[in-house]
Amino acid sequence: MTALLTLEHVSKRFGGLRAVNDVSFDVNEGEVLFIVGPNGAGKTTLFNLITGFLPPDEGILRFAGRVLTGTSPHVAARLGIGRTFQIVKPLRNQSVLENVMLGAFLHTRSVAEATARAREVLAFLQMEAVIDQPAHGLPLATLKRLEIARALATHPKLILLDEVVAGLPTGEALALADLLQRLPEWGVSAVAGVEHVMQVVMRVAHRVVVLDRGRLIAEGAPADVVRRPEVIEAYLGAKYKQVTG
Amino acid sequence: MEAQLWSALQAVLNGLLTGSLYALVGMGMALIFGVMRIVNFAHGAFMMLGMYATFVLFDSLGLNPYIGFIAAAAVLFVIGVASYQLLLRRVAERSDFMQILLTLGISLIISDGVQLWFGADYHQISIPLLDVNIHLGTHITLNAPWILSFAITIALAVGMFLFVMRSRFGRALRAIAQNRYAASLMGIDVRRTQALSFGLGLAAVGMAGGLLLPVFYLYPDVGGQFTLKSFVIVVLGGMGSIEGAAIAGVVLGVIESLTSLYWGNEWALVVDFALFLLVLSLRPSGLFGSQRV
Amino acid sequence: MTRRRAFLAAAGFGLCLLVPLGVDQDYQLNVLFRVALFAALGLAWNLVGGYAGQLSLGHAAFFGIGAYGLPLFHDKLGAPIPVALILGMVVAVAAAVVIGRVAFRLRGPYFALATIAFAEVLRLSAKNLHDVTGGDVGIQVPALFATDPSRWFYWSAVALTALAFAATALVARSRFGYALQAIREDEDTALACGIDAARTKLLALVISAALTALGGALYASLFLYIVPDPVLGIDISNEIAIVAMLGGAGTLIGPIVGSVLLETASELFKNVFQEAHLLIYGVLIVLVVLFLPEGIVGTVAGWWRRSRAR
Repeated sequence: MTALLTLEHVSKRFGGLRAVNDVSFDVNEGEVLFIVGPNGAGKTTLFNLITGFLPPDEGILRFAGRVLTGTSPHVAARLGIGRTFQIVKPLRNQSVLENVMLGAFLHTRSVAEATARAREVLAFLQMEAVIDQPAHGLPLATLKRLEIARALATHPKLILLDEVVAGLPTGEALALADLLQRLPEWGVSAVAGVEHVMQVVMRVAHRVVVLDRGRLIAEGAPADVVRRPEVIEAYLGAKYKQVTG
Repeated sequence: MEAQLWSALQAVLNGLLTGSLYALVGMGMALIFGVMRIVNFAHGAFMMLGMYATFVLFDSLGLNPYIGFIAAAAVLFVIGVASYQLLLRRVAERSDFMQILLTLGISLIISDGVQLWFGADYHQISIPLLDVNIHLGTHITLNAPWILSFAITIALAVGMFLFVMRSRFGRALRAIAQNRYAASLMGIDVRRTQALSFGLGLAAVGMAGGLLLPVFYLYPDVGGQFTLKSFVIVVLGGMGSIEGAAIAGVVLGVIESLTSLYWGNEWALVVDFALFLLVLSLRPSGLFGSQRV
Repeated sequence: MTRRRAFLAAAGFGLCLLVPLGVDQDYQLNVLFRVALFAALGLAWNLVGGYAGQLSLGHAAFFGIGAYGLPLFHDKLGAPIPVALILGMVVAVAAAVVIGRVAFRLRGPYFALATIAFAEVLRLSAKNLHDVTGGDVGIQVPALFATDPSRWFYWSAVALTALAFAATALVARSRFGYALQAIREDEDTALACGIDAARTKLLALVISAALTALGGALYASLFLYIVPDPVLGIDISNEIAIVAMLGGAGTLIGPIVGSVLLETASELFKNVFQEAHLLIYGVLIVLVVLFLPEGIVGTVAGWWRRSRAR
């Protein structure tokens, strides 16, 4: 497998806080990678670094053989990095279809083609029922899917999903997980950040990276990573240790 | 050579005196726009109201403007609280668009209303103090009303600064400026504090109007130039910084005065706006502030 | 825009062109000219202020550049009138690029303030540069139409409105239009979809500036004589923005509705209330902000959507 995205010793500070601290890892083509870590572990900052919303203080990011460092957000999108926002950012006054068309316009000028592409993506995400509704007033679960749909419509090679299952009821989260599992069908590698929905992680992830206070503390297959003591200690906490021990 | 130095010094001193009034206008705007984030395009119109209030008291009751300006402040405070509660409150959470449009409307109503009531004529009051000039050495002459208003302004500015930094109200104000939601959770009455600070901001600009009356022509559109100038002052001083606005007001006065001396009066405003654009594009946190725009 | 709607719009503009056949008083034609001119200016403003959501209060800069471009390029530099008009538009476009580079990096009220400051610098410079502009004494403007000027000015203003309307209609349903609206709703989302927000906004401003400059030239030529304050002053900027917002910012026909209402209303106010007309104007603005925040067309469209949803 070849690496699509490479991070080498990437760091980002906010004042005295090291939000991302010397992080290195790869994302391979056709892979679904989960970044696991509690709130404040640095997941969103990492996504903002990869998509050019923030410049890194140190380190190098490469995407498809190109150095990403210093690119602006719209260039990252054009190179093939799609993203969702943890705090959903729909175009509130536009319909669901128009929201997704915006992503589809990345590769076509034609309104008809953008519409067709958007409908295709919305069908995949099982959102046909709300296609003409304005984005404001939709429930959170639908808005999270809308984020994915918009990103997927840009034809990304890599899609960054920031907490797309957070705050969803379990049934909804598992249904979404099944869809995430099928993302490679679209020729997309996926990196998903999650806080704690381990059921989803175990089900979908090919590989897991664990972040703790900006540092990468473990990397590997999901079943393997959750057994490591440092992960249990840092992330799952003492309670989990008691149960297993 | 020496004569040039003296005239430069005279210009700097004149600028300081004018600048102190700019500082007062700017501090009012810093409260309203910098701290409360209300985009107030009627600021100059309210200043003009302060001038007319002082003028009416002088004209009908013979009240000295250096006492009358306090009454003008009271009037403007009441108008400020009332117009916040009746009008501005309803757009406080809405877009800047709506705030700008609403305050433009208010500004039109005020200046046209005043014009209907008093006519478009120019007025100038005459008090004995206007003829008093103070000579420092042989080269420097300062007009007494300007010195008096300078002294009053300094006292007011220091008082206002202390009030905002020390008082309970001031703390509530700054808490709201940082995080409106958190402030309301802490039991601060957000709406009341905003109404009072709008009133306070207008009181400041009303006082400035009253103090300007003896040394300025009075006409219904006199406020127009002060609206933009007060935005310039707030941006130069750094958003949310009341002391920054005070310093920026004085600095602007000096810059205008020096521009007038060397390039001519007509370029003073151009320099104001050019400076404003320069600061916005190069140092959006302002010359004297630390908060980001 | 569907074929049917395009046909309706074309028919509407055609009818507007017929109006002067029934009206022959210069006064009435000049009021109609003003209505059409401000509809065009409002439409041009709407690309930036409505669709892209960037509140410009400095469009007087482009208007004034167009107004001064005509006499300066024609009389002073000897360019033929059509060339002078085009050069005026070119200078306005250049000004738009400069102001856009500075102002689009700013958000919210700072953008509006920067546009005002820019227009004010131009106005004050025009007042001070006597040798070029004649300062407050003013400058003579060449006549665009020698025979039957009132009718021809009205027709030109309607043509300019039709041009601005067609441009807006094309933009609104294109990728460019979607990008503008995305920037208005959420700039981060637009960026994440690969939209170069800075360029997109600049392009909108450039189109808007060129159309506004043309409007300025028409206005100047009607009066044959201009001074800085009325063509570069903040009142012009405000009027353009208010026309569009009253009618409905970000809607296709909003600025036309706004201009018809506001310009006829202020003409009536001038006749009926005389000195109080600005007061009434101010009250009108306050009422719109409080009760019709999305403008007339926006609010009516909202009612329509809601009644249909029920």
